[in-house]
Amino acid sequence: MTPASSSSREMHPQLMLLLELQDLRAQHRELEGDEGAAPVEAEHFNIDRDEARTTLGKKIEELEDRLSPSIRSRYNRIAPNRERVVVPVINGVCYGCFVSIATATVGDQDVHQLVQSCENCGSFIYVAS
Amino acid sequence: MKLRELFTSDSVELDLSAESKDDILKELIQLLGLDDKSDAILFKTLKRRENLGSTGIGKGIAIPHCRSLVVNKLRLAYGRKPEGVDFQAIDEEPVHNFFLIVAPPLEVSNQYLPVLGKIAQFAKDPDIPEVLSGIETAEEFLTLLEERAP
Ligand SMILES: [Zn+2]
Repeated sequence: MTPASSSSREMHPQLMLLLELQDLRAQHRELEGDEGAAPVEAEHFNIDRDEARTTLGKKIEELEDRLSPSIRSRYNRIAPNRERVVVPVINGVCYGCFVSIATATVGDQDVHQLVQSCENCGSFIYVAS
Repeated sequence: MKLRELFTSDSVELDLSAESKDDILKELIQLLGLDDKSDAILFKTLKRRENLGSTGIGKGIAIPHCRSLVVNKLRLAYGRKPEGVDFQAIDEEPVHNFFLIVAPPLEVSNQYLPVLGKIAQFAKDPDIPEVLSGIETAEEFLTLLEERAP
């Protein structure tokens, strides 16, 4: 892969973790029940649903343990009740609640550097490019 | 939705240069034309899926797939590596043909699983590996899809 260009700044490691967690949670959830991905994964890819869910569950816990205490505490509050803990902000609109985010929250700086949340719905936010 | 409509000629690469499983995944991801940060997240998510069990389904074909919030609609890419790469496939044979499928976490149209099933089915047709190896242009690939996986 080509290396990141020098102008592209690193994403905050905690935000990266949240995004990874989100993808893992989506995979885990999709293997629930007898519909969804489980039959397709079993039929074409020999994946045992229960085994896969256990593996993913462990990985999710591992990543959750790496969240900083303040982020973990917010995450614990919002994660059980919603499918998405991190949502994109596109053109200043939070895609968790579709409310415009105050410019003070998004700011002029590169928000990839920060881990912030939407004041309206509480989701962690990241600015999608 | 027809499979062919989910590919663009930019998302087809008939001569992948990568030599390892990880590098193949990265090269496939690049065919989607996302930004660097999204590439990195998608790579991790695809790797986690591979760790559950290789998506190399045998006969030289692999279908790496996942949901990820880095895409906002279903995205597909196809890459071919004529010499083949070890992908820890089910039959332990080198893989030559890679179909990448990435869907957003929430999808209004619910296309992801049907498309995944359709590609897997297409890939299992006995003559497909040979037909794929003879393809010379992205357009030929898209035509093949249209004919064999309408
Ligand atoms: Zn919000």
